[in-house]
Amino acid sequence: MTDVPMSLSKTYRRRLPRGFAGRGGLWLGLALLGGFVVLGFAGSFVSLPPPEKIDLLTRLAPPSAVHPLGTDHLGRDVLARLIGAVPVSLGAAIATMAAILAIALPWGLTAALAGGKVDALLMRLADIVMAFPTLVLALAVIGFLGASLEASIIGVAAAWWPSNARLLRALVLSARQRDFVRAAGLAGASPARVIWRHVLPQVLPPLAVIVSLEMASVLLVLSSLSFLGIGAQAPTPEWGAMLNEARPFFARAPHMLLVPGLAVTLAVLAFNLIGEGLRDMLDQREPYKW
Amino acid sequence: MVTGLEVKSLSVLSGRGEPLLDRVSFNLAQGERIGLIGASGSGKSLTAGALCGLLRPPLSARAMALRFYGNDMQALTPRAWRALRGTTIFQIFQSPGTALNPARKVGAQLVEAAVTARGCPVRDVADALKRVALDPEVARKFPYQISGGMKQRVLIAMALLLRPRLLIADEPTTGLDVLTEHEVLETLATMLDATGAALLFISHDLRAVRRVATRTLVMEAGQIVEDTAISALSTSRHSGARALANAVETLEGRC
Amino acid sequence: MTRFLFWRLITAIPTLFGMSLLAFFIVSLTPGDPVMQELRAMGSAFSPEDVAAMRAEFGLDKPLPVRYVLWLGDAVRGEFGTSIASGRSVIDEISIYLPATLTLAASALVGAVAISLTLGIAAVSAPRGVAALLRTFTVVLVSIPSFWMALLLIWVFVMQLGWARLVGNGSLGDLVLPTVTLSLAAGASLGRVVHERIRAEMCEDHVRLAIAKGQSPASILIRHIAPRIIGPLATAWANTLGALLGGAVIVETIFGWPGLGQLILQAIAQRDYPIIQAYLVFMGLGYFATSLLADVIVIISDPQLRRGLAYD
Repeated sequence: MTDVPMSLSKTYRRRLPRGFAGRGGLWLGLALLGGFVVLGFAGSFVSLPPPEKIDLLTRLAPPSAVHPLGTDHLGRDVLARLIGAVPVSLGAAIATMAAILAIALPWGLTAALAGGKVDALLMRLADIVMAFPTLVLALAVIGFLGASLEASIIGVAAAWWPSNARLLRALVLSARQRDFVRAAGLAGASPARVIWRHVLPQVLPPLAVIVSLEMASVLLVLSSLSFLGIGAQAPTPEWGAMLNEARPFFARAPHMLLVPGLAVTLAVLAFNLIGEGLRDMLDQREPYKW
Repeated sequence: MVTGLEVKSLSVLSGRGEPLLDRVSFNLAQGERIGLIGASGSGKSLTAGALCGLLRPPLSARAMALRFYGNDMQALTPRAWRALRGTTIFQIFQSPGTALNPARKVGAQLVEAAVTARGCPVRDVADALKRVALDPEVARKFPYQISGGMKQRVLIAMALLLRPRLLIADEPTTGLDVLTEHEVLETLATMLDATGAALLFISHDLRAVRRVATRTLVMEAGQIVEDTAISALSTSRHSGARALANAVETLEGRC
Repeated sequence: MTRFLFWRLITAIPTLFGMSLLAFFIVSLTPGDPVMQELRAMGSAFSPEDVAAMRAEFGLDKPLPVRYVLWLGDAVRGEFGTSIASGRSVIDEISIYLPATLTLAASALVGAVAISLTLGIAAVSAPRGVAALLRTFTVVLVSIPSFWMALLLIWVFVMQLGWARLVGNGSLGDLVLPTVTLSLAAGASLGRVVHERIRAEMCEDHVRLAIAKGQSPASILIRHIAPRIIGPLATAWANTLGALLGGAVIVETIFGWPGLGQLILQAIAQRDYPIIQAYLVFMGLGYFATSLLADVIVIISDPQLRRGLAYD
């Protein structure tokens, strides 16, 4: 299925980046992500109190020279907690995404490559899981495992993988239908070679888009769960959990509300920008002007 | 002879400012039918796009003069372009397979054209279908239910309804078998006779061009290299144009 | 169409069966023995006989398949047992809170669809600079967690301006802030879908023909693009409703909206399995019905699929 006649796509190949959310956004997203990585390591270079250190004498202090981002309701340094949360929040998202891919990749590939009854069976099974709203199923799984960061990772991954398996299957199927892939098969290349040399290179770029956009959503869901108190447990520093702790106090200490919220938003934004930027690079088609 | 379309030094630039179409000039008289011939990628479709204001955004057109019956087309606002398109200049495209909206019935899409031309939709659509030798039943079908040749004739019926003063036909017979191509070209001639429209017929196939036009432009790498009567093509000063004419003669000699 | 619905429901039976299996076995595979937990929670000493008696009482002494059949039989009759925490019937608990959650999800869906159409259409028809700005706005809005948005809204509208109150009684006025919170995030991510779909259609040849015909942008959008994207959008709306049902948990908790959110969070904290199970079943069925509706719209909007069904 070609969308554009060859002569057209050739003629209109050159295009300009589409503003902030386009290629510029990709760089901004990468820069933001890089910033978080640097922030994650900053704890070992800058001398800050440990994120769990309670100091009841300086409760809810506004930002100052000693505490650049102020302190929380237990007198803990917000900056230290913010930095301490980087590996927890991002790490949990990465672990979840890895778990999702660990199921979705073999599942989708097997379905697409095996076809027939295997495909039908695998997709039926995925459909069953997909028949529940993602967050609802994740909540149920966490409910049965008991609230913890590990449980929320398992719950989200268990509810999330089928949609990705489906996407992967569709990607592989459409890649296999391309003329040059068929030609390679007809020319006598072995199935393994066709998949490795012709199908995979087509699947990877859109997969990169999917993974970065999904990372953004996973990050959102995990921090929501921590916010609800059923993800990361106290006293572990986690952005969502920090916001949950801030709830009774944010009228008196707005910095407790702003700092972790901004951190989640920027981290999610980074992955969204990277995903959209990559997609813009891949989508070469330009719409007609009316 | 009244000059209809005047194109003077028309260039199309890519997003990076490279010229894809390089200072193209030609005139088209009222009701005249000419061909525009050239290899794939020589800039034929770009010329057509620029004349309809239908270039995709990073591409831009500029010309010393681009006039239709004396009106400067370069000064047109988007709204004025809309008023011009369809009823004054209309274009039908290659690949009729994708040109019609797959989600709507053929009739509905033709009625739209009739409404644009301020005609009487129901009667005009039936009449137009009859003129292009299609069953009125076709109006009740979806595009996927009719053949490629029928779709192209539907597009010509659309042109009949719009009654433009200039029709640009971009490779209208590419991908059709020889018999269907013959029918489509006949229909095209019928439509032109009925409306008195001028025609710019774009093709890579000189045999098809010869059927509908007497004069042709030859395009190569974004430039017009020849503008002559088709009968004089074999004696052209330009080697590419001569080669085109000779190739057709050789082919037909063999058949 | 009745034929299609019938056929679609028949093929859904394995899915529904699988859903019930999943909902049932999530409990059975749960680590820890609910009976032992319950007995320990009672605090008093207990003998092996007590354990056996309690197992028999909950039907846990029977083999798994038998328990599944019994559970399914009860579930079909709307019988989900009693809540461990409150001792009341689960179905009563759920039916108290369900309407509020459905109201919130429905009003948020309406808001989200309105926001998404505005954002998506503006992003393709506005001048280049404005469109880029709108896309930026959309991507930022998608990235803001709904719980933070909720807290910011509370900070501004409840604490600073005093326009709304925090602990409401579920009246229409209390619906405004939760709806705004949910529909902003959902509307932005739906807006991306709308924008992508319209953009993809605007690259198509049939839109180019419509432009060449001299049609106005509004007419192209309504007559040519809308019929092509309504199917995919319906699917996206169904997915959004699913996300809203889940997302409602967060927002309900923050705004004190008396929906299922509070019930389910309490149930998770207390490991109140019957409640969680019933929640899963109800949300699953609601989502299933919505997806069915979306499928119908997909079929209706695609003449080729529609015709294919007529020949079935």
